[in-house]
Amino acid sequence: MTETTKSGFKSAAELPDDLHSHLGILLLSLADNKRMLGIRYSDWILGAPSVEAGIACSAMAQDEWGHGRIIYSMLKDFGHDPAALEHERTSEEYRSSELLDCDVSSWPELLALNFLWDTAISVQVEMLLESCFEPIHYKVRKLLEEERFHFDHGSGWTSRLMTSDEGKNALGKAFATAWNACLRWFGPENDPLIEALVEGGIVSTNADCARMRWLNRVGPTVRDLGLVYTENSEWVSEPAPDWNGWSPVRRRASEGGPDADSLARARGDRNRSLL
Amino acid sequence: MPVLSVNRDAHERDTSHKLQCDEQMNLAAVLKETRGLRIDLPPPPDPPRAPQDLTERARYALYEVMDPELPISILDLGLVSDIAADELTGVVSVSLTFTATACPCMDFIKWDVRERLLEDDDICEVEINTVWDPPWTSAKISNRGREILESFGVAL
Repeated sequence: MTETTKSGFKSAAELPDDLHSHLGILLLSLADNKRMLGIRYSDWILGAPSVEAGIACSAMAQDEWGHGRIIYSMLKDFGHDPAALEHERTSEEYRSSELLDCDVSSWPELLALNFLWDTAISVQVEMLLESCFEPIHYKVRKLLEEERFHFDHGSGWTSRLMTSDEGKNALGKAFATAWNACLRWFGPENDPLIEALVEGGIVSTNADCARMRWLNRVGPTVRDLGLVYTENSEWVSEPAPDWNGWSPVRRRASEGGPDADSLARARGDRNRSLL
Repeated sequence: MPVLSVNRDAHERDTSHKLQCDEQMNLAAVLKETRGLRIDLPPPPDPPRAPQDLTERARYALYEVMDPELPISILDLGLVSDIAADELTGVVSVSLTFTATACPCMDFIKWDVRERLLEDDDICEVEINTVWDPPWTSAKISNRGREILESFGVAL
């Protein structure tokens, strides 16, 4: 077992209304991001730079869908119908990042999802390790254990491409494009949703601490891309987060959502009649 | 992440390619024919000390439920976290974990557990809970399970 939980909530029904609402938003966001990230990984099972990389994408896609499956199943206790969540939502109802709205066209862009975005999601999941909401507390260790390899894969490939000017240029563009969405994922400083969840013992640290943890995690590998610098042994983002157009409820850009093809895949539209 | 890999040394000792193919086909056939139940495995160890004890009997029965992907029982693979039977109501609660959150065989395994346990006339209902903590690791595989896997050329 992990560390002892604080006076734990054994079910969603025990949560006070505000925590129930806030945690429901966070969990749906996590689930949708994992679902859509899995689809993006699956896009590269064929077409990755090597057979080995394609197999890794296959494994990572499977992991993300497994995690999504677990989190979606919890959401029925937060007022959601799991079947409707999976099959009936419009694009605008998805909470997944704008980074995942459509397929990416290059391996460096996929690495931005693998190394930057996937790590950002995992950092947020880490904040639930000591959660007093027991249904999530007893699941996250398994999720994080499976995520370790995702970080190693993203880090390894990023470092590998950094060794050539061509690779570094391509990474620089791809990572710069994804950077702001990653910074924003943790929420603004004093984000009321995260603050309330911290206060209630559901998550362990506030948005800025989580963002700092993410920067310290990815900073050493991306140091040469002009996105970070160090200050007092901490990694700091060179561009500050730009909150223009950010939706605190969707925890992503307020506009848009998965494109038609991605939505059809996520919902299983093609064979819907077989259900 | 896959935690099991084919023992290359064991296979490299087989100089006959045909032999390797035959072994793989045999394994596939075994898995296909016996998915989940009734594999011809060595007899389960440690028969129940008190056969009338429903919990022990139920646990023992799970030695007959095979993992769909590996030729060992789910008990030997370490998937059974807990089992408890209510003698009065005949309700058996089984806590199962899985090797991976995206395990594609979760439904198969749950089905097989339920089917096998309901063969016992004293069991009326089977409750199955999925647990993820502590996470499954290969350390949960029994010594007996390790021996069987090694005999199939699967190294841990």
